Amino acid sequence: MDQERAWIEQALQGDREAFGNLVRAYERPVYNLTYRMLGNPAEAEDAAQETFLRAYSKLATYQPGRKFVNWVLSIASHHCIDRLRRKGRAPQLSLDGPSPPEWIMSNAPRPDQVVSKNEEREEVRQVLERLPADYRAAIVLRYWYGLSYREIAATMDTTESAIKSRLHRARRMMAEHLQAA
Amino acid sequence: MVKCEREEQVTEMMSLALDGLLEEAGRQRLQQHLDACPTCRAEWEAMQEVSALLERSALVGPPLGFALRVERKLEAGQKKRRRMFGGAAVVTSSLSMAGLTIGAVCLLILGIVAWQWLGDLPSVQLGIEAATQVASGLGLMGKGASLFLGDLLLRYGALLLFALGAGVAVLVALWTWLFVRRPHKAPGNGYV
Repeated sequence: MDQERAWIEQALQGDREAFGNLVRAYERPVYNLTYRMLGNPAEAEDAAQETFLRAYSKLATYQPGRKFVNWVLSIASHHCIDRLRRKGRAPQLSLDGPSPPEWIMSNAPRPDQVVSKNEEREEVRQVLERLPADYRAAIVLRYWYGLSYREIAATMDTTESAIKSRLHRARRMMAEHLQAA
Repeated sequence: MVKCEREEQVTEMMSLALDGLLEEAGRQRLQQHLDACPTCRAEWEAMQEVSALLERSALVGPPLGFALRVERKLEAGQKKRRRMFGGAAVVTSSLSMAGLTIGAVCLLILGIVAWQWLGDLPSVQLGIEAATQVASGLGLMGKGASLFLGDLLLRYGALLLFALGAGVAVLVALWTWLFVRRPHKAPGNGYV
């Protein structure tokens, strides 16, 4: 944590190497959020990069009392929600494009494991893509980051009761999708 | 399947139960309802299934070299901003100089033309006389002011110099601080 604070201080002085250390420390959670939100590796990378560029330019507004990772996730979730609203479409996973990096990064799984994981990942994508952008963000923050209702509310700039309602409606929509399938 | 009248309320309880936030009494009420309502039971099972699916799903990491690409984009953005700022400064200063020159030439031409056309009119002659007197009055005021300032300098010169020095020092410190603190000044750390 002290190291993180030092990097933030150095990045505020214009030290890009220190900011690079912050990027390396949080690239995985940020990329995962953008990937789960947008459902497409190329778009996810673009959104994750944009998130870090925005974080760098807004670094002076970061309040040290808050967890840095949650602050960056907040930027990422707002950015993804904006993207999805601007496009007004459900995300598409390109089947012809490069495989999502999950497989590049992992230790060479067996083909049957790859098929099974691919199917499961596709199922997750299908379940998430039916949700409105802000419901999706709440679900991703809850399941992949284990954030409490309060933390999700702070990350998404809304109230705890709104998050409670979004989670409940999102789960209902996902259950309905599963039942219909 | 038959629609349950309490579905909304029950779904909310299910969601809280999945997050471990439903108290004991609530859990019992939910269980009693699920035992009696096949519609809600089916939804509960589907919700649990989705929840398990999401919990099994691991974090996905970015492709290799992601951080380096971010750093390069950052550097490129900063270079672009610096170029834009420099270009804007050159353009605005050039335009300002050109505007001032053109304005001065126009005023000169207008003055000459006006003098040629209106120079003999009595009202213009009167105006010139009045302007000369005003200029002479201003000159006298200036002389008085310089005498006053000279006297002031003789009496309080040291104090005034000290105040002036302090003001300059504060300004220099402020500018230095702004220069050091400016957000996009990289201390040359070797990053491309």
